[in-house]
Amino acid sequence: METPVLKVANLSKSIKNKEIIKNISFQLNKGEVLGFLGPNGAGKSTTLRMLVGLSRPSAGTVSICGHAIDDDYVQAMAHVGCIIEGPDLYEYLSGYKNLELLGAMSQHVTKTAIDDAIALVGMEKRIHDKVSIYSMGMKQRIGLAQALIHQPDLLILDEPTNGLDPQGIHEFREIVKSLAKDTGISVLISSHLISEVQLMCDRVCIINQGMLVRDGAVTEMLSTGEIVWVVNNPCQGQRILNEQFQLDARITTQNELIAAIDLEILPKINAALIAAGLELQTVAANNTTLEELFLSLTNQKTIH
Amino acid sequence: MINKIWPLLLVLSIALMLIFVTGVIIAIAITNDGNKNPEDLAESAETIETEPASTANSILVLGDSIGYGVGDEPDMGIGKRYAALIDPDNTITVVNLSVSGAISADLAALVAAPENAAYISAADLIIISIGGNDLNRLQYQDALSLDAAFQEIVSPYQEHLEATISRIRALNPEVQIALIGLYNPYPDQDPQKSQKLFEWNYQTRLIATTDKKTAYIPTDEAFNYHLQTYLAADQFHPSSIGYQVIADALDRILNGID
Amino acid sequence: MLNLIRNEVTKLLLKKKLFLIIGLLIIFITLLSYGQQYTYEKNIDRFENLSGAGSYDWKSLATQRLDDLEKRLDSPYIPDDGIASIDIEIKQLRYFIDNDINPITPSAAKFSVDFVEQGISLLIPLIIVILAADLVSGEFSTGTIKVLLTRAVPRWKILLSKLIALLLMTTLVVLIMGLLAILISYLFFGQWGFDEPVATGFRLIDGQLNADAVILVSRFEYTLLIYSLTWYVAIVIAALTLLISIIVDNTVTAIGVLMAALIGGQFLQFFLSDWPIVKFFFVTNLDLIRYLTGSYQPIPGMSLNFSIITLGIWGLLALLIGFQIFNRKDVLV
Repeated sequence: METPVLKVANLSKSIKNKEIIKNISFQLNKGEVLGFLGPNGAGKSTTLRMLVGLSRPSAGTVSICGHAIDDDYVQAMAHVGCIIEGPDLYEYLSGYKNLELLGAMSQHVTKTAIDDAIALVGMEKRIHDKVSIYSMGMKQRIGLAQALIHQPDLLILDEPTNGLDPQGIHEFREIVKSLAKDTGISVLISSHLISEVQLMCDRVCIINQGMLVRDGAVTEMLSTGEIVWVVNNPCQGQRILNEQFQLDARITTQNELIAAIDLEILPKINAALIAAGLELQTVAANNTTLEELFLSLTNQKTIH
Repeated sequence: MINKIWPLLLVLSIALMLIFVTGVIIAIAITNDGNKNPEDLAESAETIETEPASTANSILVLGDSIGYGVGDEPDMGIGKRYAALIDPDNTITVVNLSVSGAISADLAALVAAPENAAYISAADLIIISIGGNDLNRLQYQDALSLDAAFQEIVSPYQEHLEATISRIRALNPEVQIALIGLYNPYPDQDPQKSQKLFEWNYQTRLIATTDKKTAYIPTDEAFNYHLQTYLAADQFHPSSIGYQVIADALDRILNGID
Repeated sequence: MLNLIRNEVTKLLLKKKLFLIIGLLIIFITLLSYGQQYTYEKNIDRFENLSGAGSYDWKSLATQRLDDLEKRLDSPYIPDDGIASIDIEIKQLRYFIDNDINPITPSAAKFSVDFVEQGISLLIPLIIVILAADLVSGEFSTGTIKVLLTRAVPRWKILLSKLIALLLMTTLVVLIMGLLAILISYLFFGQWGFDEPVATGFRLIDGQLNADAVILVSRFEYTLLIYSLTWYVAIVIAALTLLISIIVDNTVTAIGVLMAALIGGQFLQFFLSDWPIVKFFFVTNLDLIRYLTGSYQPIPGMSLNFSIITLGIWGLLALLIGFQIFNRKDVLV
């Protein structure tokens, strides 16, 4: 069995006799993209800070590529790059200078590595401008670049798209996804945006009130995702769905057609329904289950 | 750009640090140079050869050039003139241990010297003229801060004068001491410095009051309006007339008008 | 490690703090030089007007003093040790008379020492505080501490590189200060004054200031010595500032705390003779220069050695505590 890229065991943290992280354990294998999902205040950031040495755990162990954070700090940190509620850059320096400075702190960061990282995040044109004049999106890209210059095996991203507009979020996501696919880097990304997690991650850990409440593959959780069609002939629609797509569609009391599907085939289904002469009035998601699951697991009215 | 000057910066900084560390060490060495015992100071004075006074009436004059009588006729000065005033028959012995240019520290060392103890114990009146050379140093301080400079000079003066009087008292519990006050030979100088003279005399007066048999003899007021006649040719020391005036003042204060 | 130090020095330089410091120094030095020159000229004027003498005749006064001193030397009552200090003063006076220099003439070398004498209790520590205060707390408030600490470098190394960079820059600042003082004051006074003889070597015997072992050094050597002591004080202040910067995440608070300590210490000076414990506070020991110039009231127990050791202990403790705290601190920004 290959060493997991990240192994967290019984991680806890207490502040002033109050336990804010309670016994969290999980692991991340090579090439996986893991999502950390939870409402604000759940303890995602606190946990992630303990993974990269910014915070001291009260109990438990953290290993990166087999190196323990407490005993073998330098080796462990050499394998990980992170953005913790960033971007944290030196505003009075240029983007390039920032990367150069940070690169000089590790033994093996070459100029090529820096240039590659810059190319990867698409900042070649503005790299020599002062960070203080960058837009938020540009800063986040440099933030990602600094996490990559030493070619880590693990990338930890804590709310990396905070403050970005939808376009920015999309671009960032694309970069991370292609990064994961091309280089095989493992990614741990935390967010409170369900859609983001759903679109990027293979597995997801749901955190609430300092505890890990669910840990599983996204597809499992998605498998109960449902779509609702309102068509002029629901029965015919049902037949098409069940026969052509091997689905288990049903008709509700409001004459709606509901089936649990993988979102990716929705366009095909719609095309098929139209080809069969049906009129599509509305097509809607029946409350992505991830969100339902999330809400039910994290149902809280007050912050504890 | 930083990368180019970095090695230079590093080397320059390290070199400077070494220089400064050396400097600190030298500064420590200088202020600790040799550690002498205070007792050695008293013992290393030489002996002098004058007969100690054996009569009951003996005046001892201590201090600086004014105590010595510079500006007066040879072998006169305050002591002799005062003695003449109270004893026309010339039976009083006057011993003069004054040294031109002496400062209060010198005086303190002199009275502490064991070979002078006999003179001090034998005296019936000790006239002390000191402080002028201490105060004169004020001219050489930086013009910036007169008050601070004054403090630096008057403090040791006070200590030494007190030490002198203590030592005299220890050797001779009954002797009358007379401190001659300073006068201002430069009335037209910086008024601030003139004021310092007043302060100086005031401090001397304060010290005089701490001892029951120490009298303060002012000279400032007497001299102020008659500097032409009371000062010698060097416009600094008293003339013969000036010395007589001081002797008169001594007489009036110690003996009253009869 | 060298790379880390270079990084920190780069950050210090590019933050443009150095320019602020140089600017401040230039302003103060220019003001002080002008003030000294102005006062000196006024004093000469006043003296000339009041004394009725045609011009300020320092030479005859100096010559008279020289006479007095030489007479004293002849006296048998001077203790051997007193001879040394009289000798010194005679040599000094002879130098001034022979070279036709009024001893109270301001010169560049003299000013560079005066400046430090005046400034070592407040101005110079303030400058070091400006340099050092945001070394750690600044990284916390901008959040860059996160990107700095999540490297394959142990925390203590990072702090050590900051400390070394700070020491290097502090040393350079002391040099710049000296150079500015000398150059700017030369513009005002027109005299270098480096080979004037200066008396130093005052000792404390039995709590009294003793000038017996006084020696003569050239003003150049004297200036070097004084600036070495200034450097020592500067690096102690730097270490203390680093500690406060670590404890207090906020740069403004750090500066406030240190200024309060420095100014408060000035008040505590008054209690020095009556309240012995005050002499262990670092602020009352900052003025190391007075031990060399001999112009101070001796306080029992305080000597150059004592002050250097006290400051050294404060500095070392500050570093030890600082490192401990930094190593354990949770980064929550």
